[in-house]
Formats: sequence, C-alpha cells, structure tokens
Amino acid sequence: MENKDNNKIPSTEESKMQRRCDNNKKTPSPKHLQQIEEDNVREEEDFLDEFQCSVCLDLLYKPVVLACGHLSCFWCVFHSMNMLQESRCPICRHLFNHFPSVCQLLHFLLIKMYPIAYKRREREVGEEEKKIGQFSPQFVHHPFGSHSGEEMDFQSNSLHFPIHPQNKLCSDGCFSEEKEPSSLGNFAKAIAHREDNMKIVPSTPSSRSEGTTNAAIENCNMIRTESGHGIKTQASVADLLCAECKKLLFRPVVLNCGHVYCESCIISSMQGIPRCQICRSLHPNGIPSVCLVLEKFLEEHFSEIYAERRQVFAKQTDCSSSTHTQQLGTQSSSVSASVYSSWIFGNGPEVHIGVGCDSCGMIPIIGKRYKCKDCSEEIGFDVCESCHNNPSEVSGRFNQQHKPEHNFEIAQPQCFGEFIQMLNLDHSDDSDDDGNDFPAPVLSDDALQDGEDSSNDLSDVSASVLSVDFAPDQKDYPNVS
Amino acid sequence: MIDFARVQKELQECSRDVEASGIKVTPKSDNLGRLTGTIPGPVGTPYEGGTFQIDITLPDGYPFEPPKMQFATKVWHPNISSQSGAICLDILKDQWSPALTLKTALLSVQALLSTPEPGDPQDAVVAQQYLRDYQTFVGTARYWTETFAKTSSLGVEEKVQKLVEMGFPEALTRSALESVGGDENLALEKLCSG
Repeated sequence: MENKDNNKIPSTEESKMQRRCDNNKKTPSPKHLQQIEEDNVREEEDFLDEFQCSVCLDLLYKPVVLACGHLSCFWCVFHSMNMLQESRCPICRHLFNHFPSVCQLLHFLLIKMYPIAYKRREREVGEEEKKIGQFSPQFVHHPFGSHSGEEMDFQSNSLHFPIHPQNKLCSDGCFSEEKEPSSLGNFAKAIAHREDNMKIVPSTPSSRSEGTTNAAIENCNMIRTESGHGIKTQASVADLLCAECKKLLFRPVVLNCGHVYCESCIISSMQGIPRCQICRSLHPNGIPSVCLVLEKFLEEHFSEIYAERRQVFAKQTDCSSSTHTQQLGTQSSSVSASVYSSWIFGNGPEVHIGVGCDSCGMIPIIGKRYKCKDCSEEIGFDVCESCHNNPSEVSGRFNQQHKPEHNFEIAQPQCFGEFIQMLNLDHSDDSDDDGNDFPAPVLSDDALQDGEDSSNDLSDVSASVLSVDFAPDQKDYPNVS
Repeated sequence: MIDFARVQKELQECSRDVEASGIKVTPKSDNLGRLTGTIPGPVGTPYEGGTFQIDITLPDGYPFEPPKMQFATKVWHPNISSQSGAICLDILKDQWSPALTLKTALLSVQALLSTPEPGDPQDAVVAQQYLRDYQTFVGTARYWTETFAKTSSLGVEEKVQKLVEMGFPEALTRSALESVGGDENLALEKLCSG
C-alpha cells in the first residue's frame, strides 16, 4: 500500500533517480527506452508556490476559496471540515459553516498554466475518488461559459480567434458544452493547440473583436511561463475577469458559489447580503476577504494593468469616500456556537450532524433538511430550508445528477445514539454511510481532544462530544430558542 | 488512510533546510507511518547543546488528525512527562490544523522547550519544582540535558571506545551506533536489549 502510494509522486527527484536506477538494472529493451523518453517528455511544469495546497502540499486541484480568502483543494477543504459544528480554515482558523463551491476561474487557470501537473492530479484524485465512491464536481464549461451564452461569445471575440477551421476546432474543444467531463487530456491538447494559434494572432487582428470595448482585453496582455521542456503555457487577462465589471480582477474576492469578483464590485452592488450576479445565490456571512494568492498572481503577472486598476479605484474612492472598511470589518460567522448544542435538548433549531446542504454548502444543516427522494447516488442529495424555498440549478457538491423535477421529503435529524452508532459503523466498515450526504464524519476537534489512545471507541466519542457541547453552553439556550 | 504522498513531500522539504532549522525527520523503517524527529535544544535554555529525539506516529487520518509525538530522549520540562516523554501541547491535540506539518509541529515543540507553561503541566513534579525552586529546576534540566541529550560532544571513535570499555564487542558496537544514528544512549539500550 505504502509503496504504491510512494510511487505516486513521479515528480520528485528521488523517485526519478530511483526509476532511472531501476531501468538501468534491467536489460535495456526498446520498451524501457521508450518509457524513459516518455517520462522526459512528460516532465511536469514547476508550479508557483502560491498554487501549492497547504494541506496536501501538491498543486491545487479543484481549488475552493474560503470566506477568509485562503484556498485549498476541494477534498482537502472537505476533509478538514468539522461535521458536528462550525469548521475552521486550516490556515488561519477562521470559522466557517459553508463548504464553498469550487472556484472554476482558478480551476481553468491552473489547467491552462500547468496542463501536465494538473492532469496528474486529476488522475490521482480520480483513482482516490473511485476507491471511496464519492466524486468531486466535474466541469464541462469554460469558467465564463457559465455566465451566459452572450458572454461566451464575448469571450471568444476577445481572444481574437480568426475564423479558421483549425481555430474553430480548438475553440470548440475549449468552450463547447458538449465536451466530455473527463477529457482533460483533450483539453490540455486543445489549449496547447490554441496557443499555437494565438501566436499568429497579433499579425492578423480579427475584425470580430471590434465589438469589445475593454481596452485591457484588446491588448490581450499575455504572459508566458517557461517550463522544463519547452512547453509554453499562458495566462491572459481574459482568464481573470471580474464577473461584474468584466475587467481584470482588482482585489479579487471569491463568493460561496465560486464566482470571482472585484471587491469593489461586490460592495457597490450589494444590498444587504452579497448576491452573486451570475448564479443569483446569496453569499452568507458578509463580504469575503480578498484572495491574496490570486491578488499576488495578478500583481506579478499583469503589473501594468493592475497598477492602472489600482489608480482608477483610488480616484473612485476619493470621490465617493465610502466606508468600505467598516462594512468589511463586520464580517464574521453568523451562527452562534450554542446553536449546535441546543438541538440535543430539543429547544433549538434542528442540527443535522454530518449532513450538508448541496446547494449552499452549509455543514451541518441547521433547520429543516430536505432530502431528495429521486437521487440514486449513495451519497444522497440534501438541501437546507432556504435553498429548498429558493431553488437554483445545482448538480450537487459531489457530482450527483440531481434534476429540478426531483421530489424532496423532510428528513428528521438523527438522534444522538444513532449518530454515535453511525460513527462506529464508519470506523468498522467504510462502505456504510447510511445514505447521508457527507459520510464518515471527521471528528477533528472534539473527539481528538482527549483521545491519545482510543478516540474511536464509543464511550470516548460520546464523552468528548458531550463534554464540549453540553456543559459550557447551557446558559445560552434562552437566546437561541 | 495516511496521505503518504504528502509525508514524502514533507520529508523532502524538511531535509532541504535542515541546515537552517536543525530539525530532522527520518522514517524509522520503510513504513512512513513511524518516524523519528530530531530537534536541537534552544539556545539560552537549560536544554542548549542537547539533541532531542522525538518518536512520531502518524494516525490513519493524518494530516487531518494530529501526529502523535513523544520524546524518546529523556527531558526535564513541566510540559513533558519525565517518565513517558508525553508532550502537552495544544497543536498536537485540539488545535491541530492540516496546514501544519511535522516540521512546524517540531518547531512548536522546540518553542515549548524555551517557554514552559507550568500552569498547564504534563509532569506535576517538574511543574512544582519549576514554580517553587526555579534554580533547582534549571540545574536538573541542565543535568538531564548533559546526561541524556548530549551525544555530539563525542566523536564516533570516542563513543565506540566508551561502549567497548563497557564490555561490548567493537563490531557490534559500531553497527548498533550506526543503526540508531550515532546516539550512544540509544546504542547502549540496543546493545543491552540484545
């Protein structure tokens, strides 16, 4: 098992050395030589430190940006979350109770910049997902494809695609919705292909781009990242646009739904609760913090345009003298800790331990839980009350094939005993997840608190959960109910 | 299921700046689930000059569960058991975060050596002494460091010499020293146990 896992990181110097040694030992055959050649050709790009996930220490895969602006892989965030109560950001310990959607803008940016490394990640994570039988969402659109059909046109215009059979082919590969979910390989090829074409572009300015007014995009400021073996990948301004103002992101913030905006755009369009202009979903708990990783990337790779944006923004704020900072200061978690304990006594809202909302990502669900009767996936499909009342087109956090015509039923929260039993089943038999949305809850904080030896056994778990949740909060109940 | 790919990366990262940090992590065997960490005693403390070995066991849930760490080298400190080497440190318990690594955790343990918390003791006897008679505490801690944590003062030949004088055959002594990474106390233990 371990050996198998160790071999999974072909990028490391050691394993490369090892592999070469192994190859040398054996009698050289054409097959081996071919293998060595392939390895060299497929040598991975070195990725920026900013794009290393701080949990798995590898290239970010399907990045999720938390409200505090820190980012991690989809599974890394999910496994870090606490199924019993609010979770903490692995990096800054900021409290959060919603599992955000994958940031598709970053996802596609990474595919574009590091096609080989990202493909390796896809393969590794895919194997892991098959093993556990749970799947992360698949994206078949270009990030901007999700805006609207009109904007997709705008995108392809802005990229100066000359009308040319070859380009048509590759633009289909990049933007069409029919693309197979798992064809990242084709995707990478299509990108490489597209870039070949892009090089010709400056000499043949397309007439189709006249419609765009955005000077930044017309300049189409490209950056190039040299990588080991001459594979060149680029990020362009068009990959990093604010969903609201359609300009290069300035002080980017990522909402719970994964869409990216300039901080100023979100503040100015906000009435009460921030709402995504694309998917119309609400962003809980105030304005998210600026994603510093993305900001640093923008500053370094588009320094001129970014400086321009900064100047424009500085002028605007001088004129309007708005109090952004005050609004930002109020950002905090909206759920009082006592909510999570009060349900045990029956005098607070229901808390559905270990179950998350597939629409807004709230874990655990507080209040009524609506469970889909028609979704066949083992992981199930659940939504919270407010998402049930304001349905949106979501396909589930774990790639469930939920349809709007599916019917819901109200599900009762598990009683405490059942929950403990479920924990034990999960420990003894991983395949059992009781039809819950988020099986195998991670008792990261509570159960480990006093568990040096046997945090898995029944009395230990219940004792630790109780000791945390019962005792200190009793005086708070009147506030909750 | 331990994320072994991550552990591998951690080991590489750690060995890259071992010069600067002085912190080493080495696997005990082929199994990456059990490792040994080495930290130098912080300068300006009774632990200065000592080299402390820490047994690390990774739980199945690592890195989403904290690694289990325990001093293998005997140490006199209010927050470390003088008997078992158990460490009382929040980040190794409820304050663990998956963004922490073995190296950062060992750095925290090193920081714990320089800033004892007698108010939240692991070893009550040591904590009592620390609060009531600080000078004696410093003396004891320094004596323990000299006795148990100082191996580098002697060269390999001197260590071999010392153990041979105790009556162990030279070849066996050398192999024992090698297998425990040059720690004479551990080598002695190994020789005694067979």
